[in-house]
Amino acid sequence: MRETVYVLGGGQTRFGELWEKSLSDVIQEAVDAAITSTGVMPTDIDCIVIGNMVGGETAGQAHLGTFASGLLPHHPPALRVEAACASGGLAVHTACALLESNRAETVLVVGAEKLTDVAGDIVTSALMHAADNEKDAPSGLTFPSIFALTATAYMHRYNLTRDDLSLVSAASHRAATQNPYAQFRKEIPAASISKSPLIADPLRLLDCSPISDGAAALILSTKKESGVRIAATQLASESLSLVDRPSLTSFGSTKTAFLKAMKEAGWKQNEIDCIELHDCFSIASLINLEDMGFAEEGQAIRLFKDQDTESQGSLPVNPSGGLKACGHPIGATGVKQILDCYKQLTNQAPNQVKNARHALAHNLGGVGATCTVHLLETV
Amino acid sequence: MDSIPSLHRRTKALASTALEAGTIESFTVVHHPPAGFGSESYTVALIKTQSGKKVLAQLTRESAAAAIGATVTPHLRRIRTMHNGLFVNDLKYEVVTKKTEPLFTVTSYVLAVSGPSGVGKTTIARALLSLFASVAEQVPIYTTRHAKKTDVEPYVHVSKEQFDRMITSGDIIASTHMPSKTETRSYGYRRKDIEAIWKRGKLPIVVTEVHLLQGLVKALGRRAILSCGLLPPGKSRRLMLSSLLHRLRTRGRDTEEQIEERMKVAEVDLRAFADHAHLFDHLLVNDQLETCVETIREIATMKR
Repeated sequence: MRETVYVLGGGQTRFGELWEKSLSDVIQEAVDAAITSTGVMPTDIDCIVIGNMVGGETAGQAHLGTFASGLLPHHPPALRVEAACASGGLAVHTACALLESNRAETVLVVGAEKLTDVAGDIVTSALMHAADNEKDAPSGLTFPSIFALTATAYMHRYNLTRDDLSLVSAASHRAATQNPYAQFRKEIPAASISKSPLIADPLRLLDCSPISDGAAALILSTKKESGVRIAATQLASESLSLVDRPSLTSFGSTKTAFLKAMKEAGWKQNEIDCIELHDCFSIASLINLEDMGFAEEGQAIRLFKDQDTESQGSLPVNPSGGLKACGHPIGATGVKQILDCYKQLTNQAPNQVKNARHALAHNLGGVGATCTVHLLETV
Repeated sequence: MDSIPSLHRRTKALASTALEAGTIESFTVVHHPPAGFGSESYTVALIKTQSGKKVLAQLTRESAAAAIGATVTPHLRRIRTMHNGLFVNDLKYEVVTKKTEPLFTVTSYVLAVSGPSGVGKTTIARALLSLFASVAEQVPIYTTRHAKKTDVEPYVHVSKEQFDRMITSGDIIASTHMPSKTETRSYGYRRKDIEAIWKRGKLPIVVTEVHLLQGLVKALGRRAILSCGLLPPGKSRRLMLSSLLHRLRTRGRDTEEQIEERMKVAEVDLRAFADHAHLFDHLLVNDQLETCVETIREIATMKR
C-alpha cells in the first residue's frame, strides 16, 4: 500500500428478501448506518464508490454513483463499479486506489443489490450476464450450472462425496445463527443439504447462495485513523469462460490475487486469523481454499471435516455465515466481507475469533473470472 | 443473446465451424432452464473437440447418459425459442455408445445426394458427415472454376487443360460442363478418390447433379450408387421453384444474375427426377432438415 488506508467502520442492512425496501432504501440505510457508527461528518467524505451488478435489470436503476452522492448534503463525486459478484470487492479496491493516489482522503464505499423485485426468470438471465454471453449462454447454461460443471469435474477428480460436500454449507448455516444481519439464521444439518432439490446436478438448492436484497457501506480514510488498516488490496482476472481455462478445478484469479496480496502485506500464511470467503456455491469454498494454499489440491474438505474452519478452529472460515447463509446481494457482498473482517479485528463480531489480528476477505466474480483479495490488520 | 443480429452472428459462426467429435470434460443437468429453453431439464457438457477446442453444448435428449471421458458427436438441432417465436438451431452432441454407432458395414457403394440448386444438398451432406463422422467422407470435386471465398464444397481447383487431360487419361470418371456467361465450368470426380475412401473402410458421399450421377452410374455400375434425390417443398413444380428461389436469395451466396442461371439449371434438374427416374433410389422432400437427414440415415444403414 502506498498510503495507510484505515477502515473507520461501516454498517449494513439485514440481507434477505426485503420486499418493503427499494434499491434506494437499502443504499440509504447502509450509508446512514456507516455514518452513524463511525461518527464521520458526512461533509468529510470526498468521494463515493458504489459496487452494483444488475441495478439496471432488476431495479431499473443505473447511474448509481450520482444516486448515492445525492444522499450526502454536499454531493461529493461518485462512481459505480461492476465486476459481477466481485463488484463489492472491486468497489473497495477502487476506493483504495483513489486513497493511495491522494485523489481522496475519506471515501464512502457502498455495495448494494436489489434482486427480489422481479421474477425468477429475469434474475436468472441477469445473473448469467456474469458469464460469457457468446461462449456459455447459447447452450442454455444458467449461472449455477456453470459452477456445477466445476463441481462435476472436482468430484470426479478427487472422489469427493455428496455427503462431504454438504459439510461446507452446513458450516455456514451453523455460523449464521449468531449473525443478526444474516438471511438464514437456522442451523441446517448436512443430511438435509444432501436431500435438497437439485438445481444443476450435482449442485442442490442448499449448495447455492440465495437470491437476496441488501446493502453494506464502509468508510475508508487516509486522514482519519482507526485501529484497523488495509494491508493489501489486489484484483486479478482469469478467462471469462470455462472453455478458455486450463483447469476446471482451480481459479487462476484467486491464486494470483492471493499471492500478490500476501506479498504486498508481507504476511506469512499461518498469520491469517480468519477468512471471509466467497462461498457462492459450496464447491467454490473448496476450490478457493486450495487455490490460496490452505489445503492441498482435492483436500480442502478435510478442513471442514476436522472443524478447523469453525470460529474457534485453526482456520476460521466465514464466521459471519458467508454468502450461503448471510445471503448474497451481489454488489453488497464484497463490501460486507470487509465490514465483517473489521468487526473481527475490533472484537465486535458474532462468532468472534479470539485475538484476531489478521483477516482476509476473498471476493469472486463469475466462475472465478475476477477475484479481489483484501488483507486487513490491526494497527 | 436474444436478438436477431446476435443470432445472425451465431448462425454464421456455426456455418464455418468444423463439425468435430469430442470428449466430455465435465457436465451438468440443468434443472431450471432459462427463458426460451423449455421446461424440461437437459444436460450441458464441456466438450473438448478433436482439434483441441473446447465448447459448451447441450447433449441430445435421446443421448446415452453423460460421463467424463465419453465420446460425443455433433448434430444440428433446435435448441430454443426466441421471445419473438423464432426457433433457434444450435449444435447438440450425442454420446457415442456401442449401440448408437452406425451398424452398417460399407460394401463398396457411394451415397449420392442430388437435387436442384438451393434445395439444401450441402446442409444435408454436412449433417450426414457429422452423423457418420467416423465412417463417411465427402468425395472431392475437381473443377475448373475459380476459387471463391464462399465455397463450401471440397473443391480441387485445376486448369482447363489439366481437367481435359484427366478425362482423357480416365482419371476422371464422371464429369459435367456448365456454360456460364464468363466461362464454361467443368466438374468431375476421380475414381482414385472414391477408391481411396473405400480402402479406408469408409462410405464416400457425393453431393451432385444429374450428369455427374449418370457418369458415376456408367463407371461404377448402377448397383454401386445409393442415390437420393432431394425435392424442395411445394405441391407443384412452380411452387417448388419459388421455394428454391427464396432459399437461394436468403442464403446470399450468389448475385441476382447467378441466381437466374441457377434457376434455369434447377428447372432442368427438377425435370430430371421424372426423365431419369431410374437414377434415383429415393426421392425425399426437404422441408425439415432433421427428418430428411434421419431418413437418409435410415436408408444408408439398411442392409442392401
